[in-house]
Amino acid sequence: MAETTLAPTTARAGGIRRRTEAARAAGARSVLLHVVIVVGALAMFFPFYWTVVTSLTPGSGLSSTPSLIPADASLEAYQRLFADLPFARVVGNSLLLATVTTLAQLVTSATAAYAFSRLPFRGRTVVFGIYLATMMIPLQVLVVPLFAELRAWGLVDTYLGALLPTLAAAFGVFLLRQAMNQVPFELDEAAALDGAGHFRIFWTVILPNIRPALATLAVFAFMGSWNSFLWPLVVLRSPELQTLPVALAGLQGQYTTQWDIVMAGSVVSILPMLAVYLFAQKYVIQGVANTGLK
Amino acid sequence: MRTTALAGVGLVAATALALTGCAAGDSSGEADGPVTISYTNFISNGGNEENLQAIVDAFEAENPDITVEVTTLPYADYGTALQTDLAAGTVSDVFDIEYANFAQYQANGVLAEIDVEDPSVYRQSVLEAYQADGAQYALPSSFSTVVLFYNRDLFEAAGVDTPTGDWTWSDEQAAAEQLTDEGAGVWGDHQPVSFYEFYKVLAQNGGEFLDADGTAVAFNTPEGVEAAEWLVGKSGTTMPTIEDGQGTPDFDTNLFLDGKLAMLHTGIWMFGAFADAPFGWDIAVEPGNAQQASALFSNAVGVSAGSEHQDAAATFAEFLTSSDVMVQTRLDAGWELPATSDEAALESYLTLGNPENRQAVFDSLEQVALPPVVAQGQQEMQDIMTEELVEAQAGRKTVQEALDSAEERINAAIGG
Amino acid sequence: MTALVGEAAAEVRDAERATTRRARPPRPVGRNRRGRRLRYTLTVLAFLLPSAVPLVLFVLAPMVAAAWISLTEWNLLAPATWVGLENYANLLSDPETADVFLHTLSYIVGYLPLVYVGGLAIALALNTALRGRTLLRGVYFLPVITSWIVVALVWRWLLNPSNGVVNTVLGWFGIDGPGWWTDPAWAMPSIILASAWKDLGFVMVILLAGLQAIDPELLDAARVDGAGWWRRLFSVTLPLLSPATFFVIVISLINGFQVFDQVYAMTGGGPGGATQVVVQQIYDLTFRYGKAGEASALSWLLFVVILAVTVIQIRGQRRWVNYG
Repeated sequence: MAETTLAPTTARAGGIRRRTEAARAAGARSVLLHVVIVVGALAMFFPFYWTVVTSLTPGSGLSSTPSLIPADASLEAYQRLFADLPFARVVGNSLLLATVTTLAQLVTSATAAYAFSRLPFRGRTVVFGIYLATMMIPLQVLVVPLFAELRAWGLVDTYLGALLPTLAAAFGVFLLRQAMNQVPFELDEAAALDGAGHFRIFWTVILPNIRPALATLAVFAFMGSWNSFLWPLVVLRSPELQTLPVALAGLQGQYTTQWDIVMAGSVVSILPMLAVYLFAQKYVIQGVANTGLK
Repeated sequence: MRTTALAGVGLVAATALALTGCAAGDSSGEADGPVTISYTNFISNGGNEENLQAIVDAFEAENPDITVEVTTLPYADYGTALQTDLAAGTVSDVFDIEYANFAQYQANGVLAEIDVEDPSVYRQSVLEAYQADGAQYALPSSFSTVVLFYNRDLFEAAGVDTPTGDWTWSDEQAAAEQLTDEGAGVWGDHQPVSFYEFYKVLAQNGGEFLDADGTAVAFNTPEGVEAAEWLVGKSGTTMPTIEDGQGTPDFDTNLFLDGKLAMLHTGIWMFGAFADAPFGWDIAVEPGNAQQASALFSNAVGVSAGSEHQDAAATFAEFLTSSDVMVQTRLDAGWELPATSDEAALESYLTLGNPENRQAVFDSLEQVALPPVVAQGQQEMQDIMTEELVEAQAGRKTVQEALDSAEERINAAIGG
Repeated sequence: MTALVGEAAAEVRDAERATTRRARPPRPVGRNRRGRRLRYTLTVLAFLLPSAVPLVLFVLAPMVAAAWISLTEWNLLAPATWVGLENYANLLSDPETADVFLHTLSYIVGYLPLVYVGGLAIALALNTALRGRTLLRGVYFLPVITSWIVVALVWRWLLNPSNGVVNTVLGWFGIDGPGWWTDPAWAMPSIILASAWKDLGFVMVILLAGLQAIDPELLDAARVDGAGWWRRLFSVTLPLLSPATFFVIVISLINGFQVFDQVYAMTGGGPGGATQVVVQQIYDLTFRYGKAGEASALSWLLFVVILAVTVIQIRGQRRWVNYG
């Protein structure tokens, strides 16, 4: 890139730039920005807060306006949640499926994205179009044939049966392809001149440069698996194979719903996701700093 | 190998297997040797899992050759899972059904005929509900009725006489108006606006939902209009409106528990949830108009027509629905009522306490109204009816317009 | 782009030129031309097969099966019967089909601008040296990971016509709030609002990853040349963000046509069918009404529509998407 033309601010000057910006930001506009952003964040946070409050209010009903500060908070709902559900098992199942799905999708998406970004071949656009097409038909209509297929393979009610359909997803291929297309081709060429083949370029040049996208994909793949409901419901039947969302749905009875327990379950289901996000977010930011590119 | 062949041809083959109903295995019952049968249920979900297990344990002790694998699914998702299983031919040997879906499953050949060893132990009216062409296709596991719940404290505070079994709609209306106190946020009455309430108030008004053939509706009559008006007219006068949240899950029961609702039409399955209410409450048979009619809900178990162990499955189904262990377990737990003919066993139910007037449960059984059932389009019929009634409730249609539209749409859905 | 933006513009032009060059692969060294081609083919396969095999087996094959089911009448209980194109003919002549597509379209038209502009604004704000931005990013992402069951409950309560927070606040300004999800005219806007709120974090994260990839020196160069904030946004940031934007729009449209969870959880298609979207209809047909053939036919109609929309976007991307 045309670095010579950017003499006034070199890469080293990042710290200085930040400081001067911070000094300028002392103005009214920055205050306004902070206010708007914080108010927005409160609005975003509120429903989550309300979920927690409901989970702490025993016998919560939804007919009357819930009080914002629980009068007699109690962990009763959580105790009953852990008593009613084989919790360790259910969370373990969900963690296992989500972790394998995430790792598999990172591998399958990154390799496919490399092919679509860096390896021209005849019919590449068409093949990429077919990949995208797999996202365009609703899961609801695929469930019955997919179930019949896995039954024929004897995989109903197994971890493998739950996992196989989630190993690859066009979403990830598309996301990573967009990111790879932004990595300058000069870098590949330089590596190729040094004698690197495609596998080495993929591993040492491309992947380090798309860490933010990889981290983003990891979050979404994990989330997709962690929250998926319809397929695990249909394919996993044994109580010892159940996943968290299906088990949580079981807390809603035929005639009544115990909202405090449902909300406690929601809180419990959100926390691991939050941890994954926070971990990945750190990676997104470091990713750029570590590449040595910018 | 089938697996590789299938992988090659793709999935069409697999679906073809399912579509042609390959699942129909040998239905000749070999009761010799140990067998394992599967049972999928929703009835124990939400608190009665251990009670069901107790019944299963008792069965296995009595039948050492038969092992039962129980799967419990939430009610809300049971239908989705069952549909997938039926489609793919992986349905359990024994599975729960609701009365409303019985006709449809029976007509499609999903259910195996059951030879009942001792039909006399069942409550006859409920048992007969699951017969077709003189044969038994499912066994009732429980039944429950809908009654009028009332908050005795609110009635006493307002100086209104509490409901009795002699009440009619106009008595209920008058009391509801007196008890509604907008300032205090207290409402007089609540009755869901839905198919299940409409077919019943229609019967209370002497009307019929379906014609004699069961292929067209018969509710678009003056009785039908009056019944629908009774149902939707409460909203905004003695009952909260949709804007107030009426119709959302648990709205009515929570309102009742908060002491802000004087009367509530709901099922006897709520006894447990109301047990600790901080006010006095009781029940009465629902008021009628031309006649009394109470809604009867019933769950049952069917044996899969594709089961390889039909005899063992039928043995279990009968034990599950008629054994003494089951009757006692259900009564002790306050689970839904067993469909037993043993009145003596049910006597104990009357003395269990809150609510005091448990006799009303049995009184309500004297004149029951079963939901109308059709061989195809049952769910559509129910959904359309509810949707049109809600349109009238919200004031977007007149009652007459809603019934006209419901008649036309339902006839199209169930007629063919 | 004019001279005013100076160096930054030059950078962007550079980036554009790179796009035209990008089809050039590093050339492997080898003597035998045929061997080289075989090796290249094997390389391509090695990169593609890990994803292609599962997609073919577990998505494309069921799709083909669904196409076949769409030519039958099948209630999931009794064996299916062949009806040819009857399901399609019925769907195309049924006014309800147009309705469910219109409802879906109205969702997309309301949702997409809201979520993109909102997500971009948050991403831009959180990409600056804001105090506590790590925490704020997490907070803005919270709704994304919260289940729709919870979100729907919360929003139904916030938008409760009689005592909800939103109408209460509107009341302070003398505005008589609408009936929201209880009113056919306002039910879809209610769903759009809740969906945009929930998905803002998703769009923010994608755009943030895109913003992180932009060389800060380009923006500095533009600033040195006297470009104001808006000028830098439109002439530098947005063009360089276009791959991420393209991704967000394509994905949002694909997902938007398949909107289901929020409708199922918030209104179930009501009131009076006002929010009955395509996938809700497909779900009802399959699992409530046992009309698998009709549901599959509707799914394929939906597929064709989404495919057409996506192909148009991919064709059009050359005009505005810059790859570095």
